[in-house]
Amino acid sequence: MSLLALDNISVSFGGVAAVRGVTLRVDEGEIRGLIGPNGAGKTSLINSITGIVRPGGGVISFAGHEITTLAPDVIATRGVGRTFQHVELFRDATVLDNVLTGLYRHHVYGIAAAIAGWGRARRVEDEARREALALLEAFDLAPLALVPVHDLPFGIQKRIDLARALAVQPKLLLLDEPISGMSESEADAAVGMLRDLAEQRHITLLIVEHNMRVMMRLAARITVMHQGEILAEGPPAAIRADPAVVEAYLGEDGGHA
Amino acid sequence: MRLNAALIAIPSLLSLALPLFGSSYQIYLVELILINVVAGIGLNLLTGNCGQISLCHASLIAIGAYGTALLTTRLGLTYALALPGGVVLTTLLGASLSYPARRLSGLYLALVTLGFLEVVSIAIEEFPNLTGGVRGLKLSPPEILGRPLKANGLYYFVLGVTALAICAGWNIQRSRYGRAFNAVRQSVIVAQALAISPGRTKLLAFAMAAAFAGLAGGLFTAVVGFIDPTEFDISASLHQITFIVVGGLGSVLGSVVGAVVLTLLPEALRGAKEYSDVAYGAILLAALLLAPKGLVGLAASLLARVGRKAPLP
Repeated sequence: MSLLALDNISVSFGGVAAVRGVTLRVDEGEIRGLIGPNGAGKTSLINSITGIVRPGGGVISFAGHEITTLAPDVIATRGVGRTFQHVELFRDATVLDNVLTGLYRHHVYGIAAAIAGWGRARRVEDEARREALALLEAFDLAPLALVPVHDLPFGIQKRIDLARALAVQPKLLLLDEPISGMSESEADAAVGMLRDLAEQRHITLLIVEHNMRVMMRLAARITVMHQGEILAEGPPAAIRADPAVVEAYLGEDGGHA
Repeated sequence: MRLNAALIAIPSLLSLALPLFGSSYQIYLVELILINVVAGIGLNLLTGNCGQISLCHASLIAIGAYGTALLTTRLGLTYALALPGGVVLTTLLGASLSYPARRLSGLYLALVTLGFLEVVSIAIEEFPNLTGGVRGLKLSPPEILGRPLKANGLYYFVLGVTALAICAGWNIQRSRYGRAFNAVRQSVIVAQALAISPGRTKLLAFAMAAAFAGLAGGLFTAVVGFIDPTEFDISASLHQITFIVVGGLGSVLGSVVGAVVLTLLPEALRGAKEYSDVAYGAILLAALLLAPKGLVGLAASLLARVGRKAPLP
């Protein structure tokens, strides 16, 4: 059974249709690419899955349950995580605090314990800290744990964003242009890292990305959106060869958009 | 580390020893500072951490003050019970403010809280049989464990409660709830993506701000012995906001520094006589321009420039 199922999803903003009747299945453990020219509706689709935008029509199911009208934080609790195109970290906070914030839902203690600051609160905080540090370790960020985020370069911030999203323990992770703004070598490292996520942590990935070279190496299947609709779906090689895709998207700027 | 220890130890020792060398007026002044510290910690959690603007912090202090006062005079409760009773009452009413805050923010939320302020002050004035109306309410000294609490006893009580409030504020800020407050302030969308409910987080922030305000109000009745609506008007609310902005938003130490500096400033400016208000305003402006992150932020960046990192609480 598919982990994520979108049936006939439509999203419009003030009469302008951004997404038109999209039906999509993403299987558990899959790495799925989502591409399309600017304005194709990719981000609107992601926003409707995470609940930020309520679709005008259609049904979204996750792990067998409908999530179409749930609040975004409830959807996140169910196991749908995301990162942001323009890295939205807590800039004044340290790297560690950013990741700790992501552990909110899974390291729980009550308000009374928080006020007293000992007992259960202390124990759970210690646990959370260990887990956060382990995540930072996995992303080669451990030495930066106590550095405020705003001092760090963009490529590193992207990694922090990813570590923070993983802290929420998602089953499905929606990545909005995870490679953009990275250097070639950073991008290569990121590809390896994302593949590890899927293989070792068993997280299903839905990746919006413009970098075709990266997509070819990463995704088993690619879905192409164009003008709010799904234009094509298939393995990367077939997508590259699809004349309709080339026409709508790849042809525009030499197949490297 | 040694610096942090000194930062805590010196003011603690000074305030503990104050009754040995201070006049009764000085003790009274420090009691007022401590009350402002308690109220400021609450407002700072709400505004500095959670990013919710409130113009009715003084009304919450009023509810705590009148609640405590009425529980003792009308219901005959001892102060030791009336004070927590006032805190609970204030917390419940304050929490109700989070309801409009679910949908409103910024100026619109400020206007709602301004409305709340008006409602509370009208309620106090329109029920003179209960609240004493505009003429105020005179109170007998509080009793704890059957013994009247006055002079030094009262001072140490207020000091002890304030110390606990500072610890509580500190703990909340470093807890998962403190991180949730900061997340909601910086981006509701990111907070939600991290499975943090903005509605519940705001509810908690308003409730906590109200709890601290209620506590401050309850202490105020004991210290001043007389309450009337003018103590809790819009200018009192604005003072609370200046305390935390000048001290440092989002920092418990900022609440403390702001309350200390701005409560003492008018006293220090007394010599300037008719120019004291002008001087107060000028100093306020200068502080905001020169230290946009508050006095605590200024101190932190100066220390960082000297080459040492002092993690300020």
